[in-house]
Amino acid sequence: MTDAMMLDRVSRSYRGGAGVREVSLAVRPGEVHALVGLNGAGKSTLMKLLLGMLRPDSGAAMIGGVDVRRADARTWSKLGQLIETPLAYGELTVRANLDIAARLRGVPSIERPAMIAEAVTAFRLTEYLNRRARSLSLGNRQRLGIAAALQHEPAYVVLDEPTNALDPAGTILLREAVIRRASQGAAVLISSHHLDEVARIADTITVMNAGRIIGGLDPHDDDLERAFFQSVLRDDEARSEAGGPSA
Amino acid sequence: MKARRRFAVAVSVEGRKLLAARVPLVTALLFVAGVTAICTSVTTAVASGSTELVAKLGPLVADGGWTGYLSSATQVIGAAGFLACGVVLSWSFGREFAEGTITGLFALPIGRAMIATAKLLVFLAWAIAVSALSTAAIVLGGLATGLGSPDTGAVESLGRIFVLIVLTALMAVPAAWVATLTRGLLGGIAATIALVASAQILVISGAGAWYPPAAPALWAMSPASVDGAALPVSLLFPLLFAALTLVAWRRLQLDRS
Repeated sequence: MTDAMMLDRVSRSYRGGAGVREVSLAVRPGEVHALVGLNGAGKSTLMKLLLGMLRPDSGAAMIGGVDVRRADARTWSKLGQLIETPLAYGELTVRANLDIAARLRGVPSIERPAMIAEAVTAFRLTEYLNRRARSLSLGNRQRLGIAAALQHEPAYVVLDEPTNALDPAGTILLREAVIRRASQGAAVLISSHHLDEVARIADTITVMNAGRIIGGLDPHDDDLERAFFQSVLRDDEARSEAGGPSA
Repeated sequence: MKARRRFAVAVSVEGRKLLAARVPLVTALLFVAGVTAICTSVTTAVASGSTELVAKLGPLVADGGWTGYLSSATQVIGAAGFLACGVVLSWSFGREFAEGTITGLFALPIGRAMIATAKLLVFLAWAIAVSALSTAAIVLGGLATGLGSPDTGAVESLGRIFVLIVLTALMAVPAAWVATLTRGLLGGIAATIALVASAQILVISGAGAWYPPAAPALWAMSPASVDGAALPVSLLFPLLFAALTLVAWRRLQLDRS
């Protein structure tokens, strides 16, 4: 099956030396691909490269077979993403925020009311529909951001730490929404610190450390946490012996 | 979605944000009310014989009537208009970075240069509305102060005040570029203050008419004193900074700061 999202030997350094090096990764349609790693491992950088928020020093990022530097409006209209901060403007109501998110993705006006109604139901935001986003709790703002990223049923989904600020109920809603999107054929790339949560939804788990991909984990592993830390520790020790950069 | 449709969406989204937010509304109200209040106060003070004020604001203010009233309005607008426009531009561009919403403006069918163009157009529409409201408020203030019906000269001055506010908005465009480069609001506001201060200094030195940020106010106060080419040439200034802003948005990367 063709990869829906792909990074091919991508490197990108920040000033100061941090960044990602020679990262390759592929996400297939219908797959939930989780990225795990410690803070600063390069997960967000990798996602930003995939979404054109950073230009690679070398290598290429592709979505739907198109290099993201040349991706057209049609490609981007099929993508939903949430990186770091939800697209929620405080002065706008929940309804207005969802409406502008749909408009920016090119959703026709005739389809938007039903789409928004479905999204607020799926993320239990109905009672806040006419409330300004600035009056929402952090968790509900995050729900709004996830709803805005997923409401147009994108074929490509990129979510960076989407469980941030979510309560257990919100986490379950996110899990259901991600599994639903993947079951409908979407390629989903998601980063998380919550290994239990990752184990519940991911088909593939990739581990990052110090800006590189250092291997994968089996989502069905009974002790995912131990496997993760062993993997990171082995990599840290190997780099330490080789005199490489530390995490 | 065709390019024209995408642009219409970008303008509509930016317009919705500007209309719903407090910053543009409060700035507009403070500017309109502030300019009117200062001018009517000055006129009342001059009428009551305040020589110190006349010495500071110049002989035109001493003429009293519509001439003096509109002269003080033009002087106040020259500086206050810059600050008001710089604040709204800095807010419009800088907020996306300060609030973190900039990440949501990537990977969209609508490119960032198009979004930045929409921001500038919506800002210009805001400035035209503020200009119309300010001009109307100044007329009402003059009538309320007992200046009577404006004569032909006063009507021409009022027309120049309307144009001055719109031109001042254009001259504040560097604030959008600096807010983008500095990834926040404060850089844009600092750039605005620098523009106002530099315009004041160059006006005092006598070279103001050829310094774009100063040209509109000098023209509005005394059209005959400004070289005919200075004002059209000054329009290259906002065009240059609008182009720089669009390039900055198109090439934007979200590096760690």
